[in-house]
Amino acid sequence: MATILTVDDTASMRQMISFTLNSVGHDVIQASDGKEALALLQGKKVDLVIADVNMPNMDGITLVKSLRALADFKFTPILMLTTESQESKRQQGKVAGATGWIVKPFNPEQLLTIVKKVLG
Amino acid sequence: MDGRLSFNPTSLRQAASWPRWWLWAVVGMAFTLMWTIPFVPWWAGLGSGLCAVLTLMVLAFYARKQYEEKPLDGEDLMEGREAKQVLEQVDALMLPSNNIEQIPQVDEVLQSMAADNQRRRLEDLMRRWVDVAQRYSEAALVLRKEIYSVIKQTEQAANTIAGSFEAVINKATIQARQAMELLEGTQGAASDGVPQSLKDFIQVSDERLNKMADEVVRVADLSVNMVRELDGVQNRTQAIDGFLLDVEKLADQTSLLALNADIEAARVGEHGRGFSVVATEVRRLSKRSHEFSDRIRVHLKEVRTGLSKTYGDMRTLSAADMEHALKIKEDVISLTRSLEGKNREVAETVSRINEISKEIAQDVQNVVVSLQFQDITSQKLNSMLEPMDDLRRTLYHLMQETIGLDKNLLKNLPGNDHWLSRMRPDHKIEEQPEANPEEKPMKDTKQELPKIHEAGGNGPAIELF
Repeated sequence: MATILTVDDTASMRQMISFTLNSVGHDVIQASDGKEALALLQGKKVDLVIADVNMPNMDGITLVKSLRALADFKFTPILMLTTESQESKRQQGKVAGATGWIVKPFNPEQLLTIVKKVLG
Repeated sequence: MDGRLSFNPTSLRQAASWPRWWLWAVVGMAFTLMWTIPFVPWWAGLGSGLCAVLTLMVLAFYARKQYEEKPLDGEDLMEGREAKQVLEQVDALMLPSNNIEQIPQVDEVLQSMAADNQRRRLEDLMRRWVDVAQRYSEAALVLRKEIYSVIKQTEQAANTIAGSFEAVINKATIQARQAMELLEGTQGAASDGVPQSLKDFIQVSDERLNKMADEVVRVADLSVNMVRELDGVQNRTQAIDGFLLDVEKLADQTSLLALNADIEAARVGEHGRGFSVVATEVRRLSKRSHEFSDRIRVHLKEVRTGLSKTYGDMRTLSAADMEHALKIKEDVISLTRSLEGKNREVAETVSRINEISKEIAQDVQNVVVSLQFQDITSQKLNSMLEPMDDLRRTLYHLMQETIGLDKNLLKNLPGNDHWLSRMRPDHKIEEQPEANPEEKPMKDTKQELPKIHEAGGNGPAIELF
């Protein structure tokens, strides 16, 4: 099973994502914003990152750009899980290097399907 | 200055007094009539009076025309008491003018008064505007505090609910797993003849109890056979009894024959003495044969009594064994069926528990989806706060500019320093906790007014790039 990092400033969201992924055996680590996520990923590898867009300190788009700049995370799948659904925001995510865009609220079953798909 | 305020005091005087001309005209006409009637014919007096009235009417018409040619704006018209005050002021200015060398121009005085009036109105307007800004600022602060409180409370509630449901699903999963283990335990197969499950236990017990019941039935069958055999033995003892009777008859005949031989031996005398001895011996043998026969009969009787008792016992035993064996067999069958039924019920219950656990898992998934609306709502509320803060900032800057224009403008407003400081963009509500990691910071004040998040939006819910 994979190790997945979830980044969201809302504790209940992190809890629900963890709960959903744990139910199929994935290991989940949590961060409350982009800055904390980057600090957590120092010298650590994860198989997938699921990040919110609107977060304090460092938003999700900046986090994606920062991760893509690191050699270890050049090809790591990064899914954006956000309330934002505007096309302009999606394009920003795509340009930054995000692998996919999921609009909240997520369906646990669909999330697991998409996670399975991006993990290969 | 607005031209509507530059009115003529003469016209004001006329405006205030022209209706009196009518009164004086009527009075004049009346006096004219009364004075001329005793001296001139009535028609001459009436004519004079009419002429006087006509003259006065012409004058009144002229005065009214003058008034209407320079009308005063209704909004700025100083009516009644106000107009009277103005006239009194003008009169006051005019009266001492005979003793003062330089008389101030009436227009200048009126212009000054109009300017004062305008300034007072502007000040009043400004005060109202500042009051509105103050009230908005206070309301915005309260609203902000309330919204923030709602966000925190819903977040806490969502966290608690999410935690509870996580615990519920974990327990449901454990329950389902244990139920399945229980089901496997009750339905599993036996290994090496040792029962590994309730089902197997029932099966093995059933087999062994059936075997035991069959053995009991077989023993009962043997008992019946033994009874039958004993019956045969009893019949044979009766035959022996018959044989003994025959033996006794033979002994009696032999004894009788010995007696005859003894009689014949006595008749022949000395020559028959030897024959008499033989006859005595034969009689003695016959007697012994009788005695022997009697003893056999006695033993035979005892054998028959014993056989008869054994026969009865064996019959009772065989009947009881059979009955007991059949009862045991029935009980075993009944018990087995009952256990099988219970086992089936357990399996069904466990299966149902498993199904319910799956349904709970599905319901919890729905809860997971629903609870995410807390996050969405929080973000929307936060996005509502941003325009409010922006407006508060704008108001703050406007107020600063206003105060810069006229330092004395807000002097009379109670507590203006306090509320102005509360309008500062960096002002924080006292109850609002700081350094909360979950709180999103306010965005830069220079950024454009953010739009409230559009619900629904566009594009697919999930998209892989």
